[in-house]
Amino acid sequence: MSTENNIWKLAEAYVEQTLAEAELVQLKNRLASDSAFAEEFHECVNMIRSLGSRGKQVQFRSLLADIHGAQKQVPAKRTAKGYIMLMPEYWRTAAVAAGIAILTSLSTYWLVQNNNKKIASQYSLLKRDLEKYKRSQHQLINNIKAQAATTPTATVRYTGTGFALTNDGYLVTNYHVTEGADSIYIQNREGEYFKATVKSIDPAADIAILKVDYKNFRFSKHDVPYTFEKTKKGLGARVYTMGYPQDEIVYNEGYISSKNGFGGDSMQYMLELPANPGQSGAPVIDADGNVIAIITGKQTETEGTTYAVSSKALVQLIRNLPAESRLRLPKVNKLGGLSREQQIERLEDYTCSIKVYKK
Amino acid sequence: MYGSGTEQELLMELAAGKRSAAEQVYSQHYPIVTKWIQKNGGSEPDAADIYQEAMVILFEKAQNLEFRLSCRIGTYLFAVSKNLWFKKLQKNQKEPGYLPETGDWAYEDDIKVHHEREAHFGQLNQALEQLGEPCRSLINAFYQHDKSMQEIAADFGYTNPDNAKTQKYKCLTRLRKLFYGVQAKV
Repeated sequence: MSTENNIWKLAEAYVEQTLAEAELVQLKNRLASDSAFAEEFHECVNMIRSLGSRGKQVQFRSLLADIHGAQKQVPAKRTAKGYIMLMPEYWRTAAVAAGIAILTSLSTYWLVQNNNKKIASQYSLLKRDLEKYKRSQHQLINNIKAQAATTPTATVRYTGTGFALTNDGYLVTNYHVTEGADSIYIQNREGEYFKATVKSIDPAADIAILKVDYKNFRFSKHDVPYTFEKTKKGLGARVYTMGYPQDEIVYNEGYISSKNGFGGDSMQYMLELPANPGQSGAPVIDADGNVIAIITGKQTETEGTTYAVSSKALVQLIRNLPAESRLRLPKVNKLGGLSREQQIERLEDYTCSIKVYKK
Repeated sequence: MYGSGTEQELLMELAAGKRSAAEQVYSQHYPIVTKWIQKNGGSEPDAADIYQEAMVILFEKAQNLEFRLSCRIGTYLFAVSKNLWFKKLQKNQKEPGYLPETGDWAYEDDIKVHHEREAHFGQLNQALEQLGEPCRSLINAFYQHDKSMQEIAADFGYTNPDNAKTQKYKCLTRLRKLFYGVQAKV
């Protein structure tokens, strides 16, 4: 081993040009006389130089992506200004709309409350308990493929769904998916595993923010294409979701059926949208490609009623993050003009399966 | 006269990875390239991809300290972006009508060198993937995140920088075997 160390030390000094004149002469003589050594030495030098220039390029690329993201925010501000200028003309309409909104939400509240008394309905969380299921053939194939990269050794206990907050590895899922986990891995659409750690949680809202540990991780070549809705959407808004109730991504669509969720929870929406175990943490997206909520659970009594925590709660949790884990949500929506199929195609890169391991 | 002097300085700052320089170059020339690519059948994300690739090519060229641009930075980036976009169109066979027969394939050699370098880095990435943890993180910490051996020793839980260094050499030895193994197979 010590000879290995020596050759690397020498190669490093050679690349950094810190060798003294005499040492350089000695090295040249040895390279000329010992061809086996010369070959090995050149491989070492080549390795060090390649790693150095690769490192610089990776840094530069992420700098460019960062600059690109920062500059794209500028036009967004301009449109915001224009919008405010128009406001006075629409005062009356806005007032009427607000009145209706208050009326609807109050009546929904009353409805949900009333319902609640009648049925002590159960709320089932949508994480998938894998012990119940025999693992499918596909799962096995994925596991074998992933072994080369990172191999989770224990067996998966729960799976859920997560989706990207930033391209460099911040993602969100449900708190109940990650609760009590020994370790968490995400699996992307290519079937690759990456280890992730919990950065922040809000058990009340049932949200957990995770970060992929691998430093060069990117969901895709492009920035996250969707934005996060900061206000609540109205009743009847058409929405869709994509999640991993199985090993293949699954698409479902529906609409907002109530502005408040289970037991009148104002942080949630009630949706008429089919969801299955494993879809916990999946994004709920409106027609324009804004994330409006995150799926958390469903009613066990009726099929097709799903609850989702609104993205407002997520935005609040992100605002409360410590300064060192600064996380900038995407500001530009690139899905707006696209057809549903195209939106889904783009979204697949940013949605992943969450695998939770417990002893 | 005035222009070329400051452009050379800007280029050297860009080569050193200075953010302000990269920002200046980026914002100065990005709109023109985007407009051109959009006119030639591309989307805005396409333009961002192509333009960033062109900037990486310039960045790599400028790593050579003797490198002197024979034209303005903007001209170079625009020409390389055009060429890259034509290549992409040609590959996808979407808009054959737009492709020039000759003449507009500027800086062909630079792009060829760039593609070779990317292939080389691809093999290196593959070898790093196979290397596994903690070696991959350790090597990235040193070569990519510019961490000192002291910081690495602290981050990875080695008792002192020398131990971390020994570990780094072990990782490098394994990486070298993997890398030249990968190359032999390809």
